[in-house]
Amino acid sequence: MSDTSLIGVARPRVDAREKVTGATRYAADGYVHGLLHARPVLATEPHARILRVDGEAALSIPGVVAVLTASDLPIASPGTDRTSEPLAREEVVFAGQPIALVVAETEAAAEDGAEAVLVEYEPLEPVVDVEAAMRPGAALARVVEASDDEAGDLESIHAGVDHGQEDDSEEQLSENVLDRVTRDRGDLEAAFAASDAIVEGTFRTPWVYQAYLEPQVCTAWLEPSGTLVVSTSTQGSFVTRRELARAFDIPLEDIRVVAEPLGGAFGGKFALVEPLAVGAALALERPVRLVLTRGEDFQATNPASAQVTHLKLGARKDGTFTGIEGRLIVDRGSNAGWGVEGTSSLLVAGPYRWDAHDLRGYGVQTNRFTFGAYRAPGAPTAAFAVESLLDELAAKLGLDPVEMRLKNAFVEGDLSVSGNPIPTIGAVEVLERIREHPLWAERAALPEGEGIGLALGYWPGGNEPAAAVCRVNADGSMTVVTAAADMSGVNSAFAVIAAEAFGLSPDRIRVVTADTSSGPYSGASGGSKVTYTVGAAVLRAAESAREKLLAAASQELEIATNDLEVVDGVVRAIGAPDRSITVEELAQMALRFGGRYEPIEGHGGSAQTRGAPSVAAHISHVRVDRETGEVEVLGHVIAQDVGRALNPALVEGQMRGGTTQGIGWALYEQLEHDEDGRLLTGSFLDYAIPRAENVPEIDTLIVEVPAPDGPYGAKGIGEAPVVAAPAAVANAVAAALGTRLYELPMTPPRIWEALRS
Amino acid sequence: MIPAPTRYARATDLDHALELLEEEDAKAIAGGQSLLPVMKLRIARPSVVVDISRLDLRGVEAREGELHIGPLTTWAELLRAEAVDRPSLAAIRECAQGIGDLQVRNLGTIGGSIAHADPASDMPAVLLALGARLHLRSPERERELPLGEALVGPFLTAIAATELLTDVVVPLPPACSGSAYASLEHPASGFALVGAAALVEPDREAVALTGVGATPFLLDGDPEQAIAGAEIYGDRFASAEYRRGLAAVLAGRALESARRRAREDR
Amino acid sequence: MPELSLVVNGEQHRLEVEGRTLLVHALRDELGLTGAHIGCDTSQCGACTVLLDGAAVKSCTLLALQADGREVTTIEGFATDGELHPLQRAFVDHHGLQCGFCTPGIILTAADLLSRTSSPSDDEIRQALRGNLCRCTGYQAIVESIRAAGAAT
Repeated sequence: MSDTSLIGVARPRVDAREKVTGATRYAADGYVHGLLHARPVLATEPHARILRVDGEAALSIPGVVAVLTASDLPIASPGTDRTSEPLAREEVVFAGQPIALVVAETEAAAEDGAEAVLVEYEPLEPVVDVEAAMRPGAALARVVEASDDEAGDLESIHAGVDHGQEDDSEEQLSENVLDRVTRDRGDLEAAFAASDAIVEGTFRTPWVYQAYLEPQVCTAWLEPSGTLVVSTSTQGSFVTRRELARAFDIPLEDIRVVAEPLGGAFGGKFALVEPLAVGAALALERPVRLVLTRGEDFQATNPASAQVTHLKLGARKDGTFTGIEGRLIVDRGSNAGWGVEGTSSLLVAGPYRWDAHDLRGYGVQTNRFTFGAYRAPGAPTAAFAVESLLDELAAKLGLDPVEMRLKNAFVEGDLSVSGNPIPTIGAVEVLERIREHPLWAERAALPEGEGIGLALGYWPGGNEPAAAVCRVNADGSMTVVTAAADMSGVNSAFAVIAAEAFGLSPDRIRVVTADTSSGPYSGASGGSKVTYTVGAAVLRAAESAREKLLAAASQELEIATNDLEVVDGVVRAIGAPDRSITVEELAQMALRFGGRYEPIEGHGGSAQTRGAPSVAAHISHVRVDRETGEVEVLGHVIAQDVGRALNPALVEGQMRGGTTQGIGWALYEQLEHDEDGRLLTGSFLDYAIPRAENVPEIDTLIVEVPAPDGPYGAKGIGEAPVVAAPAAVANAVAAALGTRLYELPMTPPRIWEALRS
Repeated sequence: MIPAPTRYARATDLDHALELLEEEDAKAIAGGQSLLPVMKLRIARPSVVVDISRLDLRGVEAREGELHIGPLTTWAELLRAEAVDRPSLAAIRECAQGIGDLQVRNLGTIGGSIAHADPASDMPAVLLALGARLHLRSPERERELPLGEALVGPFLTAIAATELLTDVVVPLPPACSGSAYASLEHPASGFALVGAAALVEPDREAVALTGVGATPFLLDGDPEQAIAGAEIYGDRFASAEYRRGLAAVLAGRALESARRRAREDR
Repeated sequence: MPELSLVVNGEQHRLEVEGRTLLVHALRDELGLTGAHIGCDTSQCGACTVLLDGAAVKSCTLLALQADGREVTTIEGFATDGELHPLQRAFVDHHGLQCGFCTPGIILTAADLLSRTSSPSDDEIRQALRGNLCRCTGYQAIVESIRAAGAAT
């Protein structure tokens, strides 16, 4: 079937109507009979032993049913990850860590109760300075339990990224250093010696919060049959099920995880609140709902880690890159399970070829929150460093920033610093496309105080096997069933893929997100892989359903299947359209007592091994008020290689949304702690995310370099848009100011400071 | 998120309100846009919330050389009031536009904001520059207080617990006057890192600042010198040094704008 | 417990609430109108926005009892007889949403704006959205949707 008229059409999302009418039931919205409400008690000490938790006063408040501590939860696994230790057992490792859970008949009573719980601590030395924490002999951020974690597979769901080479370094480092990644190849000294220009710098980015609008929420209860039901706002129902099974030692099939519609997630919603709600539901044998307040979500979830990146790179005078040396220190907070050292050390080399590289990443534990994934984890930070330095390099060599990048940009087959060959990629294409944008030409003649900057970034994407079902209903409509949580609009992609592959209008397709009991397998939504992998499974399922349809039609019409086509719900003879039968008619012949044909259903699976990275180039145009330090973003362009835009409107939405988060990284967002590690910025009064007035119109340039293994050439595109956005803004600010900032966010006081020093 | 337990009572008239406010830890609520956020954080824990929003204390009127702003006038109503639509009072509108957001302005009142006395709230700077006076009523007496004397410290006023604001009075500036407000907001809270209000009359100029001290305050004498010598607060986001520099810049911009408006005001 | 009497989406209701009950909780928990979402606890995000006597307000920053005797419109009351309101239609057609959590609040704020300014400029629209946070869209499609709705009405 070569007619691809349904692909590439801007169509409203499949769930638009229910969302604009308020009909969507998010995870906090459903009614559950006999529901109890939970409120966590959060640690006020960043590092301490828990001496005593006194719930007596809380229990005397009317409506309060229980005050649970770690020993009350039936956890079987001994680890220190947030699933195995949802309530701190002996040692508090960050201020904000849940210590107790008050459960009550109403939310108000639960809050009254939580206020009344008394905790006695023995304070321990808090570890807050990341670089000091690395030195041998430094105080340890975790003293009571060794951080020997099986945090399940939570790292692998975020990116198909390796861990570099075996670490054979002689570096003496403290036990706070949980992980080291080493990537080196080639003779770095020789490469630098052969360079005509070398630049270096130290770049700092803060802890940054995903700030999904819907705070984390989970409801858990036991069915009379003994099945544990978990209704939750999650990015991965199967992942969550696996984590809960491990932590509570429950067979997989005795847990049913239901992924409710997500009110945003961006990487932060993985098995954080479920263990708390589940623990309480099991302990009390009643349904329990935990809806975090925004303040609790700020303090007790899993934001993106702060990072210090020391980077040095060189090039010859013709612009070819020579060597790159990097040392990345990632503040993992109290996350012992995984970190972004691997990803960041890979991506700090950018989508470019290097003669030699030596890149080291260190994941260091401190007494701050467990770090978590946030849209392209480790990538915006890496791009900020490399793309800032590349601008300096271009200036030093007197080269055009785009031309210099084009000279070195990945093409298929190049080796990345992980040693793996790059698959099909559109780096050159997006650079060539953005180069043509009128804004790029304007950069030479700008009014005083304005600047334009460019940056390039990519995200490797991910792979995970997936399955899907396409089922034709008796009215000729189709239901597509996957277990993929719809974080970025993938359901709309599935509808179009199925419609195209089967031969129905997308209006006749309904997409259902199934739970772990009834759904075909799907990995978590994250890592920019759902469209690529689950979409491919949907395509195969639709094709399989089509085969069954044609088999039945062939019998009815007495025409060979090869001579039949399916167009808009009608099976007809190619070249003789009056010899036809509708999908509905065929379905009715199958779906009835005594019917002659198998139900018209297809099952499809996918297991791509080839990656599908996505690249995006950005141009940012800013104006800086030199007297106040304020930055106004006047314009922004993003060109992204999306494989194939199944629905351009949704693709543009991802491009603009990611770019806006990048503007947040660049200018507004920082989680700050005091010198002891307590969070100071725990609300939207302190933590600024971009508002409508802070964001310009963002021009989107869709570049299509089809992914060979993706459905109709499509691939995951959710993360690439954010990667180089902060770097582009930083380069624009540097152009406007004539001086560069090496720390994000570039707040007015910092810019003002930079102009005066 | 949920306030501590409290009772609710609605006042039918001013005397009834004053009576209800005699209870210890009673708190008046008008729009609630300042009080409810602190109640939700459980910082404020009134025993009873006295809803005064239906009292007859709204409206903006110019009469006998003075502008009278009813304390229950919402920011939205203030923005729409014809009486403030003149260059000499332009600072009022300019400031009100940036207060809170559309939803907050539909409910938040000028009286509530004054009584709340956040040291970074915008309008008090404008009112100080304009020489505003407060009319107050308690069961025992009525009195008038210049705004500067009413603002005592962060979230502290000289308004007694059993006193209610009944009028905000601003002398109408003479002809050929202009006023302006310039501020730089904290990107998250929207509160003024520094706010500067300026009033320019034929014979005098007045500048007031907010966001940099224990209360908003009027500058004494030459603004540049006054700012150089003033005690300026800072914090992690914006240091005192930065705010001092910013204050000079914004005071300068507000004065320039006010002077321009004075020239337009015939 | 104190009694609250109010009209919600054209229907009269009498509810028992506590003195401290916030309007958003009364709407969600007592009336099952979960379209007003709770996204923060400091009155910043606007996801809980409803119309009170036609004016957009944050229902999380209002005691339920403050709304006694008044009229509330929530997103559920916006469509009439199954027909989408022009704003809702515009958001569908112009892709003004992704996760949808902020959407009801934004639509109601836009309704207030459009009731006072018939064809707001993009700048006016963006200013009017200061009290509504969105993390997914980057706001552009939202502005386009509101602009389109303004042109249609």
